[in-house]
Amino acid sequence: MSGVLAIDGIGMRFGGLWALTDVSFEVEPGSVVGLIGPNGSGKTTLMNVISGVYKPTTGEVRYAGTRIADVPTHRVCRLGIARTFQVVKPFANLTVRENVAVGAMYGREGTRRSTRASFERADELLEVVALTRVAGRAASDLTIPDRKRLEVAKALALDPEILLLDEVMAGLNATEVDEALELLRTVNARGVTLIVVEHLMKAIVSISTTIVVLAEGKKIAQGAPSDVLASPLVIEAYLGSRWVKRQEQLALIASEREEALRVQPPEAHA
Amino acid sequence: MTAATLRRVGLGGITGNPIAFAVVLAIMAVLLAVPLAHNGYVEIIFRNILMYAAMSYGWNLIGGYTGYVSFGNVVFFGLGAYCSALLGAHGVNNLFADVAVACVVNAAFAALVGLPVLRLRGHYFGIATLGIALAVADIVANLDAFGGTGGLALKQVDQAHFSLYYYAMWLVALGAMLATYAIARSKLGYAFVAIRENEEAAAVLGIAATRYKVTAWAISAAFAGAAGAVFAPANGFLDPSIAFSIDSNVFPIVMAILGGIGTVAGPFIGALLLAGLNEILQRTFLKIHTLFFGAIIVLVVLLLPRGLVWLFGLRGGARTWLKSLAGYRA
Amino acid sequence: MHLIAQDLVNGILAGGILGLVALGFSLVWGIMNIINLAYGAFIMLGAYVTYQLFTSFHLDPFLSIPISFAALFVLGYLLGRYVINWVARAPVLTTFLLTFGLSLLLVNIALLVWTSDTVGVTTAYSGANFTLDGVTIPWTKLFTLIAALAITGVMQVWLTRSKMGRAIRATAMDIGAAQLSGVRVAQIYAIVFGLGAGLAGVAGTLLSLSYSINPSMGDPFLIKAFVVCVLGGLGSVEGALVGGLTYGIVESFATQLDVTIGSQHISGSGLQDAVALIVLLVVLIVRPRGIMGKATA
Repeated sequence: MSGVLAIDGIGMRFGGLWALTDVSFEVEPGSVVGLIGPNGSGKTTLMNVISGVYKPTTGEVRYAGTRIADVPTHRVCRLGIARTFQVVKPFANLTVRENVAVGAMYGREGTRRSTRASFERADELLEVVALTRVAGRAASDLTIPDRKRLEVAKALALDPEILLLDEVMAGLNATEVDEALELLRTVNARGVTLIVVEHLMKAIVSISTTIVVLAEGKKIAQGAPSDVLASPLVIEAYLGSRWVKRQEQLALIASEREEALRVQPPEAHA
Repeated sequence: MTAATLRRVGLGGITGNPIAFAVVLAIMAVLLAVPLAHNGYVEIIFRNILMYAAMSYGWNLIGGYTGYVSFGNVVFFGLGAYCSALLGAHGVNNLFADVAVACVVNAAFAALVGLPVLRLRGHYFGIATLGIALAVADIVANLDAFGGTGGLALKQVDQAHFSLYYYAMWLVALGAMLATYAIARSKLGYAFVAIRENEEAAAVLGIAATRYKVTAWAISAAFAGAAGAVFAPANGFLDPSIAFSIDSNVFPIVMAILGGIGTVAGPFIGALLLAGLNEILQRTFLKIHTLFFGAIIVLVVLLLPRGLVWLFGLRGGARTWLKSLAGYRA
Repeated sequence: MHLIAQDLVNGILAGGILGLVALGFSLVWGIMNIINLAYGAFIMLGAYVTYQLFTSFHLDPFLSIPISFAALFVLGYLLGRYVINWVARAPVLTTFLLTFGLSLLLVNIALLVWTSDTVGVTTAYSGANFTLDGVTIPWTKLFTLIAALAITGVMQVWLTRSKMGRAIRATAMDIGAAQLSGVRVAQIYAIVFGLGAGLAGVAGTLLSLSYSINPSMGDPFLIKAFVVCVLGGLGSVEGALVGGLTYGIVESFATQLDVTIGSQHISGSGLQDAVALIVLLVVLIVRPRGIMGKATA
């Protein structure tokens, strides 16, 4: 059922504020799309729209021939879309294993699975995310990095075709980030399309096939990582127009000085 | 309440302690022998224990497993009792029919009322259910067809087959217990618990919360209704204050808590202990036994927030238990 | 025309008291997030304090207001400090059951002390009323309304102007910030619980003038307090008052219902709980934040 995820003219308004304006792009199956932008640019809002948590004010998100907005929350995973949340939501009083098993029971393949099969699937996935050692612990007992892994495992239990990851690496140290990236690569290698929201440039660049940049609710760039990051629009979005102007002024001063020095080479005093 | 403490208190696993369940089944087997003693008074005591156990299993399903704390489940007991009473008034004196009708009527009523009411959460849901119980009691008391406040006298209690009521109640309690066990081991049980833990996250994982909440409440209603359906003919008389009594409303909740919410053995243990205690109190302090009951409720809530079944799974002893008590302090 | 006006006035007269009843309930609910199922028992005790003072010392009921307030405040403060605070952050079930157990205790103590006999407070002016435009207004009910409004006004001023009042409101808004500003939350909670009880006591005193007194008199007021809070909007004094008046009027008209369907005669007066429930469900479905409530972000 894999196909293209089409984000088409999405606008999102809250009260008097437009959080997103006319955002459009397509996600090819099997790719990794990095969604970046300064704080407040609307990344999480867009994730919420794509995963069906918000209904867009304008435009639509289409996948597998269906408009996401038409689908009730609990059916979204049946379409093949799963997500993690920035603020993790584990089932605190259940074990790690049970947490993942619930996803396996009710996700896309859930109707065909028995309880036992669901637990077996959970064990498989715990291996993938390297949480087997804490499988029997209560979810509320986990460290932050482990909780993030659990979030990913639960999302994977839904057998998704597209996985939305919202700031999965926030709060991780350098080693943990590398491990997380490894995990994401493994997941992608299994055929799952990823859309990743992250602030860590290095992480996003190393894993994305395409990067989409949002600023103030609008898409300002899209393309291969190296192209996008060199784009002046993107730099301006992150560092501000005054900084860019200042850089330009400094460059102008430097080139004028060079000019001046060329016209009047320093002479040894006669 | 730190997670580590909770873990040591034995949380996780949605059937609860398997040993406790085995003990409960053993006690149930022993209880089969009660009518053989030919002591009507004792038989009634244990019949009441079984009745409360069934009601407690009902509450446990919606309140303990699904996390929707109903403070009005007595409405199902009362309606079930009136089903029997009305059937009896029209010449039908068959316990199977009584129970069957009570289950269907109550499940339907719970499903109907549940659709709007289960959209409420926490306090609002609790008080709304209390309101429903009070309102239905009011309405029944005002309807002549139900005998009004004067109540309905059923066919004379069948003395010759008195123990039939006991065995019927035993079957109802067993049914509730085994159904809870089956649910807790199945996907359905996990849906309930997921809703309790985090309803939004459950929806994202594919659980249609409304459907499952209503199912939980409908099943819980059926348990309570069945208990009521056997109670009415066994009692011989029914009026709104008996059918919708505060005792029948609150006892099952306290029993579930005392025994262990969200476990399979808890409601029965709680019913056994609390109903037994109530009997003793009533005999010793006729006038102020309710006073003691209030004190017991307060103590149970303060000292045993997770119930006895959890207490038995406790590792770390008294200190862990004491630490777990301070978890909710202001 | 006459009948409607009379119902309206009756509703307003009853509504003022309901507003006061709801105020104490709303304080504890809004600030501590606790539904106090023993609230009815507090009301009942306030009524009994008045009754006792009246029969033993011939103290006029209106003069016993400060005493019943003080007595119930102390009771509430002690309970809040040493019992409720233990479970202040516990889930709904725990606080429901705990306060229910307390209710049982208090009601049964009252039963022991005063027995289940229904009594009343009948003063020299109890039956007196005057007529305005064809509508009969009992003096006691009018004074009760005035007293209720006055006390509500005093509470409003105190909550907004006094240091303690501001500390309380700060705690309700943001516990963390309040604590950082030096507010001792446990102490505030105890005081708030005491206040709630005190207000219930005053309500009981005022009610004793118009209603009969017995240990289980508080129960109907518990549900009404809840519904009035939901109706008026939680967390504000105006909300409790507006909710109370509105509910009083609605109930006054609803209990006049008197129809016969087939051979079944239905009279509204016995269906007060049903009325409460219907109002509750309508509000929760149509406008959950209540009449004066602020929409949550």
